[in-house]
This record gives sequence, structure tokens and C-alpha cells, in this order.
Amino acid sequence: MNRYLKLVNFEFNRFFKLYVVLVIVTIIMQIIAVIVESRRYMQEAENVIYGEMMSKADFIKNYEAFTMQRIVQSNWFYWSIAFCAVILLIYVFFIWYRDWLGKNSFIYRLLMLPTARLNLYFAKATAILIFVFGLVALQLFLFSIETQLVKWMIPAEFRVDLPMSEYIRFNYLSIILPSSIFDFFIFYGIGIIAVFIMFTAILFERCYRLKGIIFGISYGLVSFGFFLMPLLINTFVLKNYFFPLELFVMEVIVCIIILLGAIWIGNYLLKYKIRV
Amino acid sequence: MNVKFNNRDPVYVQVVRFFKEQIAKGLFEPGQEIPSRRELAHQLKINPNTAQRAYKEMEEQGLIFTEGNLPSRITKDEGVLKKVRKELIVEAVETFVHSVRTINVPLEEVLHIVKEYYEKDDFTRGNTRD
Amino acid sequence: MKRMILQGGIPVIEVKNVTKKFGRKEVLKGVSFTAEKGQITCLIGINGVGKTTIMQAIMSLIPINSGEIFIDGSKLTKDSYEKIIFIPDTITMPPQMRIGDAFAFMDDFYQSWNQKRAEELLEFFKLEETERISELSKGNTAKVNMLLGLALDVDYLLMDEPFSGIDIFSREEIANVFTSHLIEDRGVIITTHEINDIEHLIDKVVLIDNGVVLKEFNVEEVREKEGKSVIDVLREVYES
Repeated sequence: MNRYLKLVNFEFNRFFKLYVVLVIVTIIMQIIAVIVESRRYMQEAENVIYGEMMSKADFIKNYEAFTMQRIVQSNWFYWSIAFCAVILLIYVFFIWYRDWLGKNSFIYRLLMLPTARLNLYFAKATAILIFVFGLVALQLFLFSIETQLVKWMIPAEFRVDLPMSEYIRFNYLSIILPSSIFDFFIFYGIGIIAVFIMFTAILFERCYRLKGIIFGISYGLVSFGFFLMPLLINTFVLKNYFFPLELFVMEVIVCIIILLGAIWIGNYLLKYKIRV
Repeated sequence: MNVKFNNRDPVYVQVVRFFKEQIAKGLFEPGQEIPSRRELAHQLKINPNTAQRAYKEMEEQGLIFTEGNLPSRITKDEGVLKKVRKELIVEAVETFVHSVRTINVPLEEVLHIVKEYYEKDDFTRGNTRD
Repeated sequence: MKRMILQGGIPVIEVKNVTKKFGRKEVLKGVSFTAEKGQITCLIGINGVGKTTIMQAIMSLIPINSGEIFIDGSKLTKDSYEKIIFIPDTITMPPQMRIGDAFAFMDDFYQSWNQKRAEELLEFFKLEETERISELSKGNTAKVNMLLGLALDVDYLLMDEPFSGIDIFSREEIANVFTSHLIEDRGVIITTHEINDIEHLIDKVVLIDNGVVLKEFNVEEVREKEGKSVIDVLREVYES
């Protein structure tokens, strides 16, 4: 346990500098989003009210009041999230490959540590999880800042101060910031399983190189196939025989099996098939 | 200690020989403390197991002795010391005789040349010793 | 509960009939030899013959196709890494790390890490903890690399080409390590493709060619019984 934590600490530290950059870029992009959208709205309001001689009330009725929805749907905001997602996705792969790079192959050091090799696997997964949750926490924090910024930039009569649940609903943010604990476990649970599957696929490549890419992809597809199996069988073979709740339980069981499979195969590859 | 070892004779034998030479020359005095096995290996740049073997051999031949946990020392036994000197001299004589024998010269003449050279060498040494 | 290695736990590394293929190329075709604790065993062979592969196999850094490897009578486990260390021919720490950080890393993960000895060795090699690994000269990198292994209280040290590509003075310093207390009572396996500097330092030679062990012999024994140097024996074997 001790060495596992030390590995987590190590993995965290090696990405930290880049992580800080990620955070700063996100903050900047979202602040820009707020400023740009607010200014645009106020500019439009000015044009319509003074240019076309519409009353304030009419403007608000026709053009809609300003809400955080505008921010959240803006390009700057969207790309700030996408940027983080892409970087983290790349790092899911790079967190492994970086150990083999260069002439100071650090993988030697890692594989010769007096600890179960599975701890390397879990430590990397844990680090990724910490980074993801860190960004999620950042987003929550940024929402409060952005809401305040909006209050400064848009006069009260032009805006409607929605609670977060309102402006997050119906878009991709509801996956990152789920509204219920239940959804949280489902979305993040699947996310974690996906990371584990990717890790194991990476290990296939590291063990078997060119052949390994094929193994890895096949493995990923098979896992995905298993995931879909209950749903597909239920729909096409059994003609919707099962209740949703029963189906859900089956899916959970399948997911657990897939998760354990990823871990077991990953462990096997790390212990017996890995090569420097 | 700077010793050149050849690659064909067992190193431990060469170490023992080196010690004998040093003893015969008087550079290692009777009763003198010698370095530990590991120190010796380090100074001579040889494998510690070899140093170990050399010490064992020397202990068996009575060249060195060890009292309890104290460092090993050169023997004080006059008999052993004499034997060592004789051994080296005999070896040198063997080599000498072997190489000179093929030259067809009577023994007295050879001994005469030896004496001459010995005295000349003595003289040179006497001059250089201040 | 830690499994005690009792009877049969002779302190030795045994490589038994190991084969290894890389793709279609058979690099090891049945390699067998032993390396005892307290001795310095030298694997000799031309470049590319598979010496590094053997060491990687012993350390479970690569899988083998067949054969077995025993360390003190049992197969390698994660705990074995506290008593056997592999020092490859390049340093395996992130280049941006400072020497002191590398020490802290080792201290963190290894119970057998001897910080005091590490500091002594650093002083002996005249280096500082604040130096970055990427900024070290080749000779100094090799020394730090070796240091990271020597500062562990392990039973076995595997060193891959510890003398290659280094200036003469560094070589001498490293050779001195072999005759010092740092190696005492430990089992050492080194690989090299040239035997010149180290003939008098090693106990045993394992000559590898074409994927197999051509000859395995104790150096002093051969000198005593046959009056041959290591190079003489190698020449003999290669010419037959």
C-alpha cells in the first residue's frame, strides 16, 4: 500500500507542471468566454435598443435574457473543456509510453521495484483519476467565478441567474457534472473501466509490439462487445424480455467482469510478458 | 605495493612469491603487520578471493601467522625466514645455471666471473649509498 | 508470511537451459551456467551475442521462451528485487532528476537502500547531490549508475558492460570498486566484450557464443592446472 501511494505521488509529480499549464489555459479560456459573450450580448443590446429603437423589455423578450447557458454553449468554453479532455486522453497513453522513451528508460527502474507490478498499473490509473477530478473541481470553482463575473458585466435586468443544474442540463456537461449520485457512478464508472481497458490494450502493445496493437484493439472491441451484449441480446434475441432494472443489474455485472478482466490481463502481461 | 601479475600463473601463487621476495629482501620484516585480505586485494588490484587464497597458502607455509582477531603478521620464525631466502636463491641459481650451462665454459671461470661482478656491483652500491 | 528459503537455498544464481527468440531470431539457444555469491562471474562474448538478454531474463525484464532461472533456489519474485539489482549500461533515472532526488527515490522504495553508503560513494567519486543527471559526463553517469546499485544492500549485482565507453580513469575507479569492501561477499555478474583490464578481478568466466555457453571455467583453476590465461582459453575455444 505504501509503495502504491509513493508511486501515485511520483506519477502525480511528473505530470504536475503540465497540469498547472492545463489549469491556467482553462481558466484563461473560460474567462475569455465570459468576457466575449457578455460583451457581445451587451453590444447587441445596445445596437437593438438604440439603433432600432426597441425598448429594453422588448429586447429581453425577443432576444432572451443573458444566462450562464450562453457561456457554457460558447466556443471558447467548449474548447477549454475539449482541450483538457484531449490532453488527458493523450496522457492516458503517454503515462505509459513515456517510461520507455529516451535512453534513460525509466521502465527498467519501475519494473525492478520491490513491489507488485500491478501497483504501477493502479498508480497510473489513480493519477489519471486525480487529474480528472482536479479539473472537475476546477470547473465547479470556475462556475462560481464566472457567475460573479457575469453579474459584474451584465446589468440585473438583462440576466437571469440560473442554478448550475439548470445551465448544465441537456448538454455534455451533464456527463462531467452529473446531477445525481447514480449518474455519477454510472458515468465515472464507465470512464474508469474505459481507462483500464485502454491501459491493458497499451500493455498488449508493449508486450507484443506490432502484433500487440492488433491484440490490444481486438481486446478493446471484445470488451466493448461484452458491454453491449446484454442490451443487444435483450433487444434482438429476447425481444425485450427483461425489465429495465434487471437489464441494469446485468449490465453492472458485465461491467464488473470487464473491469476485473482488464485488471487480471494487465497484471498477467506486466508480470510475465512485458519487455523493456 | 605495485606488483605486475602475469596472466598465466595463478595469481595467488604470484602473490605468495611476491611476499617471499619481499621477506628475502628484508622489505617485509619479521613480525611486521600485513594488510588484511581485502586491503591487499584493493592495493594489488586483484580479486579478494585470490587474496584470501594467497593468505591461506602463506599461513600453511608458515610465512604468516594470525593471532586471534588481530591482523596477520610476517613470521618471526628464523627457520622459515632462512628457508625462504634459500628458496629464492636456489631458484635464481637454477635459472642461472640453466642459462649458463649451454655456454661451454668451465665452472671455475663462471664462478670467477660471478665473484668479479658481485664485487663490482658491491662497489657501485657502496658509492651510491650516502 | 514470508517464505523462508531453507534447504536448497544455496546462494547461487542458476540459469538453466534458457532460450529466447526475438521475432524469428533465436538469440539464446539453451544457455546454462551458475554464478555464486561471493564470486565475480564474467559473461564474455562478442557484441550482440545475448549477454544483456541473459541479464534481462534473470531480472524478469523480458520473458523467456523456455528454461528456468533460480535465485537462491527459487524463482524471482517482487521481493527478490531487494536482494538482486541490475545495473544496465545506461542510467535509468529521469534526466531532469538531481542525484539527491534519485537517492530519495531509491530510499523511498527499497528497504535495502543504504543512504550513508550512497553519500560515501558520492564523495569518493567527487560528485554532488545537486547535480542533474542530464548534465553529467559519460564517465560520471556511469559512476552514478553504478552507485545506485552499490548503495543497496543486495546479495547479487548484475552489471552490464560497466567498463564500456568510459575514459581510462573512470575505468580504473570502477575497477577499484571490484576489489573493495563494496563487493565483499556479494555475487557479481558482469558482462564485457573485452577482458583485458579485468583478468585479475574475476573468479569465473562464462564464454557465450552463438546462443550457447561454449565454456564455463574458474580462472585461477585454469591458470593452476593448465597454465593458461583467460585469453589463451578464449583463443583455443574460438579456434576449434
